[in-house]
Amino acid sequence: MHGCSFPMRFLPFLLSLLLTCGLIWFLQVPHQIGDKPLPPIGAFFNPFSGFWKNAESAMGLSAKDAKIPGLQGKVDVVYDDLLVPHIFAENAEDAAMAQGYVTAANRLWQMDITTRKAAGRLSEVLGERTLAIDRLTRRRGMMYAAENDLLGWAKSPETMRLLTAYTAGVNAYLDQLSPGDYPIEFKLLNYQPEPWSELKTALVIESMAENLSSAESDLAATNTLALLGRPNFDMLFPEQDTRQQPVVADTGQWKDLKVVLPPAPPATGATSGLLPSTSGSLYSQNEDPDDQIDPYLKGSNNWAVNGTRTQSHQPLLANDPHLNLTLPSIWYQVQIHTPEQNCYGVSLPGVPGVIIGFNENIAWGVTNVSHDVSDWYQIKWTNPERTKYDLDGEVREVQKRVETIGIKGQASLLDTVRYTVWGPVTHDFEPNHPLFDCALRWVSHDMPDPQELGLFLILNAGKNYADYRKAIASFDCPAQNFVFATRSGDIAIQVQGRFPVRAPEQGRFVQDGSQWANAWHSFIPEDQVPSMKNPARGFVFSANQVSASPSYPFYYLGNFDHFRGRHIYDRLAAMQNATVDSMKTIQLDNFSQRAHDALPAMLALLDRPITDADGQNLLQELTAWNYHYDAGMTAPPLFEIWYDSCFLATWDEMDVLRKQGKDIALPETWRFNELLVGDTSNVFFDHPATPQRETARQIVNESFRAMQRYFKQNPQKRIAWAPYRGFVIKHLALIDAFSRLDVEVGGHKSAANAINRSNGPSWRMIVDLSEPVRGYGVFPGGQSGNPGSRYYDNMVKAWAKGEYYDLLLLRSADESSARIQGRQTFTAN
Amino acid sequence: MKNAFLVLLFILIAGNISRLGGMWWAIAPVAALAVLLFPLGPGRAYLTGTFAGSLLWWASALWLNVANGGMLAAKVGLIFQGLQGMQLLALVALLGGLLGGFGALTGALARAMLIPVKQGRRRRRR
Repeated sequence: MHGCSFPMRFLPFLLSLLLTCGLIWFLQVPHQIGDKPLPPIGAFFNPFSGFWKNAESAMGLSAKDAKIPGLQGKVDVVYDDLLVPHIFAENAEDAAMAQGYVTAANRLWQMDITTRKAAGRLSEVLGERTLAIDRLTRRRGMMYAAENDLLGWAKSPETMRLLTAYTAGVNAYLDQLSPGDYPIEFKLLNYQPEPWSELKTALVIESMAENLSSAESDLAATNTLALLGRPNFDMLFPEQDTRQQPVVADTGQWKDLKVVLPPAPPATGATSGLLPSTSGSLYSQNEDPDDQIDPYLKGSNNWAVNGTRTQSHQPLLANDPHLNLTLPSIWYQVQIHTPEQNCYGVSLPGVPGVIIGFNENIAWGVTNVSHDVSDWYQIKWTNPERTKYDLDGEVREVQKRVETIGIKGQASLLDTVRYTVWGPVTHDFEPNHPLFDCALRWVSHDMPDPQELGLFLILNAGKNYADYRKAIASFDCPAQNFVFATRSGDIAIQVQGRFPVRAPEQGRFVQDGSQWANAWHSFIPEDQVPSMKNPARGFVFSANQVSASPSYPFYYLGNFDHFRGRHIYDRLAAMQNATVDSMKTIQLDNFSQRAHDALPAMLALLDRPITDADGQNLLQELTAWNYHYDAGMTAPPLFEIWYDSCFLATWDEMDVLRKQGKDIALPETWRFNELLVGDTSNVFFDHPATPQRETARQIVNESFRAMQRYFKQNPQKRIAWAPYRGFVIKHLALIDAFSRLDVEVGGHKSAANAINRSNGPSWRMIVDLSEPVRGYGVFPGGQSGNPGSRYYDNMVKAWAKGEYYDLLLLRSADESSARIQGRQTFTAN
Repeated sequence: MKNAFLVLLFILIAGNISRLGGMWWAIAPVAALAVLLFPLGPGRAYLTGTFAGSLLWWASALWLNVANGGMLAAKVGLIFQGLQGMQLLALVALLGGLLGGFGALTGALARAMLIPVKQGRRRRRR
């Protein structure tokens, strides 16, 4: 070859060059196996910038000193053995900047994907497969709501300073990253992080609001009323369970309150008949019974007991907010120390400050209020183009908002959303949707109080009850039950949020959008929301139950818990000389009030004797059961099958329609239990399809036989509760390898330890407000968002076992502790 | 043999430094450059480049994997059809080898194209 002419020598070279370049190109571009996209092979697998770079050393943390432009002073960050950053800053803005930096260092991808989802921007990076999700998100007005948040917050210079500092901190971290440092999910999904912004913080807040305050059943209730008629509807769907203890009891505080409610809403055409079927109905026939029965039952608990009930004579406060559990974890623990505050707790990645926590003087926690603050209004269009509509006889024009939805590998989709006086017409891109002509009125679309975000600053630095009231007064959405306790002995709870003043039943059904009388005309004044301080009983508590006793003069509706609250009340009312351990036993309590209410009645209705050995076995086990959904117990699966079968067999009249795809509401189980106990010949126990008249006795007996058959046919299901129910903590991108699918835990959605298949206590915290204040906490995950870090899910085991960590509240950056693992210093230059 | 050793050494050192530039494929031009500097015949260049590329990529991944206790590789393996950590390391070695080998081959052929070896020299080498 060497003796060949130049062109002949050029050819092999060219061939080799092309082969090499072709190889690099092949390894550089993403591929697909079937419908499964693969990351670029070379970029992902190479050891210099690929996934191996995310394999953190198991030896310990490696936080390095860094520059954050804009810092006014020096910030010291001390990391403990759980990788919790303890931030010591000279002022609030520096602390926010450092918080942004350390949060991004641990949760960058989570922050990105959360805000992408909330903004309807998933398709930009994931392609067409997420387009439907993005479109609905945009059409529900999520971005519109976030923009309004920012407009509201902009009126408060303190809030904006804090927000801008946090944003600068996140971006300072981003600026020093090279592609090899990107979180592994960016590499797998083949996209790059983008700069943080104040709007993204608003999107994180809106994401939480969507999760916690968008539940409504207007359509299902409208259909069910049309199906059943008023007497049956009222009988099956009473609004309050009189056995429940409300968040705020009547102590005479409302007797002088003169409230004029708006007149009852006029009848609407929407309620005159069953609305058309929907492909996206609330229930579908293939759903698991567990999702059909009490679908909204999730839960959070909080309470505070004062010194009259504690061993130390000082208050104790507990909170366990229950959410859909994910990895990376929902919460990020942090301590923030400035001259004004020394606060510890959990933050939301993307939001400055501590959301749930304590300082050296106070502690606070939240549960969801669960009021219905989103209503549907049927629009009466006045032109075929559906750009003009009728409101009290006047023609109004819609405002068009064009949403540009980027799609990876394709041209962007321009989606025009029509906004009425009520809000966006959400579903008018789905011709068969029953809410096709309806506009959404959602409280989260409103401009918030300018101080809303700043409340956490005030609370984080709070010293007493006055600070607490001042701080939470500006909190609008998602409404929360703020529980509170101080070292000086006060305890309190307040149902805080922006609540419309409603006429009775206003918002329960789809409303007529052509009448302004149906609008929310005002909101419950801040000094009239349910609130309670230092009650004589010595404790305050909430578990997503009704906010106030029936004597509260304002009408409200929502999806409330009916079981946990009753049991927690009983536990607290019986508690004397309470300690931190006593609090733990309530948070970890697997007792189900629902089973306690129903099972004795079911056993009483069951015909005896049961002749076959199998049946006797099952009966014996159920009779001996103590209503606890403990992980190792074998009775809970029996009860679940038997109870669910009874429940669904009772509502067969509605189930038929539900299976046809109609949005039909099934009664809540607390009401079902009442009928089972006290109205066994209720007409709904009858099967319309049979000639004879069934009562609860027949339902209970046929369901027991159905349970027997089920376990005969599925002997592998005759196992303990934990493996039977199953439990997963899913990765945010649903990547199984980054999820935890192997955790065995007890609990039930009707128990204080409200663990469902993928829901549960996202943070368990107990604070002892003695001298010094001590905190205990755990969440099912870890501080790091990196699946290649040992801090990714290191707390899951302790969480599952019901163990807590001591939360390290350092007094200074120099304080020594055996738990300190590393230090990091931030300076401006 | 001496040149093969020098090529290997060059690829290991320069390949390791070049990662700082963020170009994961830098091993290929580095291998080409190594053979341009320290001439090898195409066959020998390919083999040396393959060995050096494999070694560099494999050892770099192994280093991170061992420090991590193999935790992340086990998870990533599950995403890719249940590959084991060792199989992932083998895949990395294969990729590094391919890039190093083809890079070095291209370098050798470039040199052969630009600087033809004299017949006499070839004879002497034989």
